[in-house]
Amino acid sequence: MSKWIKTWSLIIMLWTSFGAPSRAAEDVSILKDLTAVIALLGVPCGQVISAQRLKENDHIATCKDGNRYRVFLNAQGRVVAQKQ
Amino acid sequence: MSGAEESLMSAVRIGGLLFVLLTAGCAGLEPARGSEAPIAATREAPVALDPVAPAAASPSTSRIASKPASPAAKPPAKAPAPAAPVREVARKESPAPAPAKPAGPPPLDLKTLETRLKETKAIGVLTKLAIKNQVDDLLDQFRAFYQGRLKTTLGELRPPYDRLVLKVVALLQDADPPLAGAIVASREAIWGILADPAKFENL
Repeated sequence: MSKWIKTWSLIIMLWTSFGAPSRAAEDVSILKDLTAVIALLGVPCGQVISAQRLKENDHIATCKDGNRYRVFLNAQGRVVAQKQ
Repeated sequence: MSGAEESLMSAVRIGGLLFVLLTAGCAGLEPARGSEAPIAATREAPVALDPVAPAAASPSTSRIASKPASPAAKPPAKAPAPAAPVREVARKESPAPAPAKPAGPPPLDLKTLETRLKETKAIGVLTKLAIKNQVDDLLDQFRAFYQGRLKTTLGELRPPYDRLVLKVVALLQDADPPLAGAIVASREAIWGILADPAKFENL
């Protein structure tokens, strides 16, 4: 029994060690994308430090300066940064 | 006691095996991380903002540097007849500007540029869509101008065009320097299309 516990704890430990970086890289690319979009749209932000995905192409971005925007693709196919 | 040691050893063996397998699996992530390599390379050798000008300038510069150098080196040996080499140089100088023409603006391939912009991993999907929106807005302005609906001049449409190109280049220059360079090199050619109503109509 203890053998299985040890084995599974090792598996979980290794999984979190090696699985987390790829997830983190994905998050970084989203933050970078949102930062670029907000800058392109010319609204104050600086840098996006966190984001919450609502659905595809729809995120709530929190900026370094405290501003929060909903960045999404509207029905007309335009990317919009809506201040929250 | 020996049973506990045995189970511990087997756990260690399984752990070791998993470590090796996961490390091998992570090797598959290398292409994704490969995007960091151009960033480092870019920082060492930043994108030239106007690669067209140096390309056009370099042949003439080398010509100027090399040709006067040879007569300067020759006079000690051929001192009695200095006039002949001068004429020779003058004759060689006159046909020289002809090959400089093809080295000017590179051929513009809007379709390829568009495809490369769509496919680049340097910028995210939302950024690409935002750029597309801004390109469409600018094209609408040109369309309105040519249809007489917008009271402005071509000169006034140039700054927004330059700003848009600058924004796109700024977004690309770190992660996709070749594409950024291609866009910079095509800037004048694209403007040539926008500024010509006939070419714009066929766009």
